Amino acid sequence: MTSDLLHQILRRRAGAFCLVVLILFYVAAFFAPLLAPYATSDQDLTKTYHPPTGVVWQEGRLAVRLYKLVDPTCAKYEAEPGQFAPIHFWVKAPTYHFLGFIPVSHRLFGVEAPARLYLLGSDETGRDVFSRLLYGSRVSLTIGLIGILITTVIGLTVGGLAGYFGGVFDSVAMRGTELIMAIPGLYLIIALRAALAKYFDDSDQIFILIVVILSFIGWAGTARVIRGLTLSLRNRPFIYAAEALGQGPVTILWKHLFPNLFSYLIVTSMLSIPGYILGEAALSFLGIGIQEPSTSWGLMLSQVQDLKVFMLNFWWLLTPGLAIFITVILFNVLGDVVRDIVDPKLKTQV
Amino acid sequence: MPSLRLTVLNSLFRGVAITLAALLIPACSPRQKLKREFPPLPKDVDIITKPPGRYGGIYINVDPGGGPNTFNYLVAEDATSMGAIGTVLEGLVRRNSLTEEIIPGLAKSWEVSPDNKTYTFHLREGVKWSDGAPFSADDVVFTFACIYDERFPNRHASDYSIDGKPFKVEKMDNLTVRFITPDIYAPFLEMVGGGPILPKHALQKFADNGTLMKAWNIGTHPREIVSTGMFRIASFKPGERLVYEPNPHYWRADNTGQRLPYLDLYITKFVRDQNASLAAFATGQSDSEGITPDNVEWVRRGEKAHNYTVHERGPSTVCNFLWFNQNPEKDKSGKPFVEPYKLKWFQDVRFRQAVSHGINREGIIKGVLFGRGTPLWGPETPANTKWFNPDLQKYPYSPEKARELLKLAGFRWNEAGELFDSAENRVSFTLNTNQENPIRQHMATVFKENMKDLGIEVKLQLLDFGTFVKKIGESYDYECGMLGLTGGGDPVGGMSVYLSSGRMHEWYPNQKKPATAWEARIDELMMKQLKTLNLAERKKYWFEVQRIMSEQLPFIYLITPNSYEGVKNRWENVEIPKSGGITWNLDEYYLK
Amino acid sequence: MKTYILRRLLLMIPMLLGVSLLVFVLVYISPGNYLDALKAQRDIPAEFIAKKERELGLDRPWYVQYVSWLGRTVRGDFGESWSYRIPVAELLAQRAPATLALSLTSLVFAWAIAVPLGVFAAVYRNSIFDKLSALSAYAALSIPEFFLALLAVIFASQWGVFPTGGLSSIDHDYLSPVGQLWDYVHHLILPTIVLGIGGAAGLMRVMRTNMLDVIQSEYVMTARAKGVPENVIMFRHVLRNAINPLVTSLGFAFSGLLSGAVLVENVMNYPGLGQLIFQAFMRKDRDVVMAAVIIGSSMLIIGNLIADILLAWVDPRIRYDK
Repeated sequence: MTSDLLHQILRRRAGAFCLVVLILFYVAAFFAPLLAPYATSDQDLTKTYHPPTGVVWQEGRLAVRLYKLVDPTCAKYEAEPGQFAPIHFWVKAPTYHFLGFIPVSHRLFGVEAPARLYLLGSDETGRDVFSRLLYGSRVSLTIGLIGILITTVIGLTVGGLAGYFGGVFDSVAMRGTELIMAIPGLYLIIALRAALAKYFDDSDQIFILIVVILSFIGWAGTARVIRGLTLSLRNRPFIYAAEALGQGPVTILWKHLFPNLFSYLIVTSMLSIPGYILGEAALSFLGIGIQEPSTSWGLMLSQVQDLKVFMLNFWWLLTPGLAIFITVILFNVLGDVVRDIVDPKLKTQV
Repeated sequence: MPSLRLTVLNSLFRGVAITLAALLIPACSPRQKLKREFPPLPKDVDIITKPPGRYGGIYINVDPGGGPNTFNYLVAEDATSMGAIGTVLEGLVRRNSLTEEIIPGLAKSWEVSPDNKTYTFHLREGVKWSDGAPFSADDVVFTFACIYDERFPNRHASDYSIDGKPFKVEKMDNLTVRFITPDIYAPFLEMVGGGPILPKHALQKFADNGTLMKAWNIGTHPREIVSTGMFRIASFKPGERLVYEPNPHYWRADNTGQRLPYLDLYITKFVRDQNASLAAFATGQSDSEGITPDNVEWVRRGEKAHNYTVHERGPSTVCNFLWFNQNPEKDKSGKPFVEPYKLKWFQDVRFRQAVSHGINREGIIKGVLFGRGTPLWGPETPANTKWFNPDLQKYPYSPEKARELLKLAGFRWNEAGELFDSAENRVSFTLNTNQENPIRQHMATVFKENMKDLGIEVKLQLLDFGTFVKKIGESYDYECGMLGLTGGGDPVGGMSVYLSSGRMHEWYPNQKKPATAWEARIDELMMKQLKTLNLAERKKYWFEVQRIMSEQLPFIYLITPNSYEGVKNRWENVEIPKSGGITWNLDEYYLK
Repeated sequence: MKTYILRRLLLMIPMLLGVSLLVFVLVYISPGNYLDALKAQRDIPAEFIAKKERELGLDRPWYVQYVSWLGRTVRGDFGESWSYRIPVAELLAQRAPATLALSLTSLVFAWAIAVPLGVFAAVYRNSIFDKLSALSAYAALSIPEFFLALLAVIFASQWGVFPTGGLSSIDHDYLSPVGQLWDYVHHLILPTIVLGIGGAAGLMRVMRTNMLDVIQSEYVMTARAKGVPENVIMFRHVLRNAINPLVTSLGFAFSGLLSGAVLVENVMNYPGLGQLIFQAFMRKDRDVVMAAVIIGSSMLIIGNLIADILLAWVDPRIRYDK
């Protein structure tokens, strides 16, 4: 079924394009430590708000221009004519444990210090925006995947069991979902965030907290729909047949009901990922999302909500916004394509 | 910057709207509402020395604090509310922000008894509240009765007492009030004399029925909020703006007998963030604006187009510092607040000094603040000209010095450059700060990198304000904290910080007995400066406290951003002080 | 139908109890309380803080606090804001009209844009216009709301035609009634667009799909075959039937009337409820937070009910009486 779906997606131009670009994004996020010329925390206080370094072909190899800070009061840099630093490939760098256990002591490309390579400029403490974007994508791109994973698992379990068993379990579960859905989302998020923050000290754990909170809001809707679908499938002959064969409820749910819900799940998953990405960005923007020294697109974007970025034209600091925008569009388009393939009758949801 | 075409478009837009409005309904002219009354000047009018100005003009100010929460002096806890109250209610004395002198306010003069414990104030004769009711000694007595009233718990009661004993406030006659303090209280004039005086005739009924704390809230009709200040409130729209109009009974005038203020209206617009207020100023929609260092450059570019000037005021009064938790006590379960081996580092002054030498303050200033900041070496920032001690021990950025000090203190490095103490513990600690302040966040990330260069591992933990306050003030389960305090003013404001028994003696608060000799010395000095009225002596004591703080480094001071103020060029008599609000003499402003 | 509505309304009571308990506990267990800001000031004595704690009842166990809060609330008293020292109801009433106005204008804006665009996109299916509008809908749905709001503020400050925030201008009190009205409108334009654009994009997509469904339905084919003029078909049959399903979304719109503009209000300096409530959350001004949650939840529940009723109204096949 999955390979069939993939095949159909690839047959459509829009679907293929979105899928390929998204996969590229994920690959880049996965190999971020290798691709990024610098670590996220590498600062250079003499090169803050550095514009993107120009890349030129110089003496038979790629090189970057060197810049001079001509006016420190407004971070104005000018390229020094005739000054270049060659770009080296597969350069030695401080050792980093890829995936936590593979020691890597090289990066794909870089320039020799003290020159710095800023493909997308630098931020207020001279950190490389390009590297931070790559590392930040790990948070922003996975938050949706982990989020839907959690909501789907909880939603399937609760909704499936409620629909299958009915009775007291059903009403308790449904009142629970109604309770969550009866609180305006943002209020609940803020309250949860404030209440739970103390259990997630480390800045890496904040990521988990954000996912947990967003999933906590999200599972209720999934559970209700799953329950409805299960209810409608519950009385189909094939379920009765399975029961007659003596299969337990868990087996029946797993073997007979869930495959029938697959198409629904894949579509809603695709279409709800943007919600997580935008949710993380909004939380970070309000200052209650991902925290330094971790990085995410939302956090990077929240750090530029400042007039000077526009007035002094530090446009490269807006690239995280562009990254969010593009990713969300890709997911939306892909979601629509998948929906058209899987279930053309499903109406576009508001 | 709006191009010509857009400006034309804009004026067209407005023009259409105004024509529409004018055609349909005869507009009531704003002029009518701005008519001023001129009752006779009080007998003891305060004549200003500056040359006379002329009436007219609207002064607009945008406040990013979101507006006052209350107009009740006993309730107000935030700066915006206090600012609004200060505009309306005058104190017995005032402070000239420029010279930092105490000058007469509602009292024209005062004497201090030889034992330095009795103050007699002579009130101005003929002063009236903005509603025409006479101002008298009864108002002063009433004010202090309210502050000390148990039914109305407020933050001022303890400021106005010594060791829990309140001041005695007596009415001698209608225009004379006497204060008797239980002990010598150095900052009396500034703290007590400057406090606003409440109107007895307007508030007595609320005090009688016990609802004083609910009076003068943001729903109260502006006319009920009577004033002795330069302005009274004309209208207030919560979340939007506060409009002041001249107080017709104000007690200052120029030498031609024109009653101040010259302004027709003073309007404060409220917004929620710095961006909006900055945008308003940079597009010429407001008359003054505090500007952060990173925005100075582009705001300056609009100086010609919108006819304003960005003035440099020098270092601000915000003091940023970090400190190590030196609390040796244990929590309820018997677990020490700080790991004993880490406590040993934190209590070692050489470790603290090494850390201070390792911080690249100049780098933060150059990089993050566009070169517009000042490194700090002690508790006062240079903005507090009266109390700042420039002669302190300094710790310029020098990783070499830092390493030397660490070596002296018995630390050593492994091959990878990581730092270990003499008991082979890796030197690593967690820095906590609150997440709301961007500049502090940058300082924290720079600190982390700087410490990495020394082989010290710093973990950053940004907390929300509530969690942070609880950690440093109640549960003490942290290793290192970073905070910014707005300082300035009299050293008496720092009693809770510098006394070892103090609540905000962050590195080890609420001590029963001073833990170290130097803390004992600070305790002694702080008490001494409180119990003398001799300024030179007080300075001597406070300077020594600053010196000790800079040597012992319980707080490692970081930087203060410089402060800038943009003001429209059309105003005469703008006098920008080193610290504090620039509108302190707004009554003297007039249009050039 | 009546009994159904009554039953749903009665169900609200346990629901609101649960909501209030949940949020109350969350606020209680989050570290710190309203007095944090005071505690961080260096010249506030500890005794004063303790006194305030007693005065606000914060020294009592949480269930005692909850019960006393609940007791007051069921009597219709939302309590007093700790930072403003005025009744919460009064405070919320001061700000509610601004938010209500913004929500309504953005709703109208969304419909006014979405319906015609959706119709055109469906009628001229696969044309350049259809593709462009689909693309802009994707774009509108993909841009973070707060970022759009930020861009709007910058745009306003650069261009100067629109105000950079607020509800009315400084000279508002001195304008004629028409001028005052225009002043409000002028201040509403940008926030309305920012808040409404996402909804417009969503609605437009639904409208287009609905239109296509109806156009391809049998009775439209029949009408065409019978020679009914095309514009009559479009306006009398297709449009009406395509809009009907959208009507139910009005119920959901009702849910968010007071709580849906928090982000936009905060970024664009629009002095409405959202700003106030966000601030109350940050300051832990508990009674304001609780009142906001209760009101928000009630409106959400009622909104869902309205949506269900509207659904039954537009679609006669749906019956709620058992």
